[in-house]
Amino acid sequence: MEKSFKLKFMKKESGALYKRTAGEKVVYVIVFLLFALYTFIMAFPFIWLLCNSLKSNYNYQEDYEKFRLLALPFEWRPQNYIDAFRELEYEGTNLFGMIFNSVWYTAVVVIEGVFFSACTGYCLSKYDFKLRGTIYFIAIFSMTIPIVGSLPASFKLSGDLRILNTPLQPILSCAGGFGFNFLIMYAFYKNMPWSYAEAVFIDGGNDFKAFFKVMLPMAKAPMITLSIISAISCWNDYTSILLFMRSYPTLAAGLYKVKSNIQLGEEPVYYAALLLAMLPVLIVFSIFSEQIMKNMSVGGLKG
Amino acid sequence: MEQDIAALQTQGTLPTNQKRIRKGNRRKGRTLFIVCILAIPILNWLVFWLYVNISSIFLAFQEIDPWTGTQQWSMGNFKKLWEQITGDGDLLLSIKNTGLYFLSGLLITMPLSLFISYFLSKKIFGYQFYRVVFYLPCIITPVILTSLYDQMLAPTGPLAKIFDKISLSYPLNGPLYKKDSVMPTVMIIIYTILTGFGGDMLIFSGAMSRIPTEVYESAKLDGCGPIREVFTIVMPLIWSTISTKIVLLMSGIFAASGPIMLLVTENYNTTTVAFWIYNIVQKGLDVNLVATAGLCFTLIIIPIIFGVRAVMDKFGNVEY
Repeated sequence: MEKSFKLKFMKKESGALYKRTAGEKVVYVIVFLLFALYTFIMAFPFIWLLCNSLKSNYNYQEDYEKFRLLALPFEWRPQNYIDAFRELEYEGTNLFGMIFNSVWYTAVVVIEGVFFSACTGYCLSKYDFKLRGTIYFIAIFSMTIPIVGSLPASFKLSGDLRILNTPLQPILSCAGGFGFNFLIMYAFYKNMPWSYAEAVFIDGGNDFKAFFKVMLPMAKAPMITLSIISAISCWNDYTSILLFMRSYPTLAAGLYKVKSNIQLGEEPVYYAALLLAMLPVLIVFSIFSEQIMKNMSVGGLKG
Repeated sequence: MEQDIAALQTQGTLPTNQKRIRKGNRRKGRTLFIVCILAIPILNWLVFWLYVNISSIFLAFQEIDPWTGTQQWSMGNFKKLWEQITGDGDLLLSIKNTGLYFLSGLLITMPLSLFISYFLSKKIFGYQFYRVVFYLPCIITPVILTSLYDQMLAPTGPLAKIFDKISLSYPLNGPLYKKDSVMPTVMIIIYTILTGFGGDMLIFSGAMSRIPTEVYESAKLDGCGPIREVFTIVMPLIWSTISTKIVLLMSGIFAASGPIMLLVTENYNTTTVAFWIYNIVQKGLDVNLVATAGLCFTLIIIPIIFGVRAVMDKFGNVEY
């Protein structure tokens, strides 16, 4: 009896309406309804997309004209998902090619970006050398000063280096170790005891061994979180692809271009492609959502 | 040789020497490690940041000679820029629109994120679900979201049908394609608000979750209501997060934009500074003018950022 009372009490205490005045309760209910409304506004287009991606062109047109927004298909056509791979293409790249481009582009940008940030963060936080202050200043300066309009010079440089429209463009340009990722890795290594590396030195290991065998694996948690955040933004990037790697359209860039060629009534196949493009990000997010949600805070990520 | 070593051993100098040699080797090894580890990031910074920005400054003082096609030193770009800003060109419009995006971010999206974060931190019913729902637009590619938004607003879309049902007039080509009107920009701003507060929400809820519950409890005992709680407890305690966010917003003022390219293929008076720059580079137009505009905007924004930062710091940060 006492136990159940305690449990009931504890449940009440943790609730949002516990010990609230009537006015406050009304506010909470209104806010809850507003949140629900937003959820509906956001969910509606996706349900609409799912319904229409499974319709035949005729079915889609018919429902459209009769204002049957969320009507289930009367002519089911899951074939649209296969047709999306067969029919949609941009500059000779079909959906498979776009997925392939998205995968390698994301992998390059994420691996390079996070790895080199870990390198610079580790070196600047753990080693005392002559240029350390200067390099740290450079890292902070590059982040603080917002340079506007350097895009033409970047574009020109890529042209001069003959890496424009080649896979070398992201490989070379993304091998930087500064920026937001650097700050996170720097803060992480700054708080990590040096004794781990010293143990390696006592065992006869050198600095490379200490970094690659001990210090880098220990930074797994922030590196995974940074990788997920970078991967989502890379997967969704379309502007830099359309500018620097036009012949290697990723899913985001390719679908944007494909959209302009879609004829009226052919939308269901395109909608199927949109849903397919969304899937990888949603899967990654659903697996790591807790990690992303919990670890994010301004100016830093917890390890 | 062996005799020498034996002699050294008897003198007791070998261990010291060995130590010195070992120390020297360690130092060399350490230097080699630092050089190897930092070489690529520094080279990358030198080429893709320093060189790019220096050459951007050079581009601002150069013009393409129409006869030879080569870059010639000139101050003409600054004159051209002034003409563009004071005239009726795209640049003036893009500055105005960028201002609208910035203000919507500062005055609508950020307070909205704070409002949502507050109720999420108070564990409103279903808060874990809503946290994911609010963050979802940040992870789904804008290509998909804009396609959906476009479909919803199209003259043949659901919104037009609803307007039709309740006998209200709807723009002929949809609100996104209304010529000579601010409507397309407003619609894109609404899109950025609807999809843009997820990231801020996470940051603010993270900051709010670190406020000790005892602070709320003692305030409540003193008769503090929710509005007072927000302004006298929450805001001051997360001020460092808010001020960082404001400074970041200021830093990106000229990058403030929406998915214009995805929503309106034709311009419809929606251009922003970021889109204006991107468009010129993509079409290979007057890149020197872009570099000049960029240089001027950077010179304008730097003192503003430092000023804003100083003002923000004056309010002081609370340690807890």
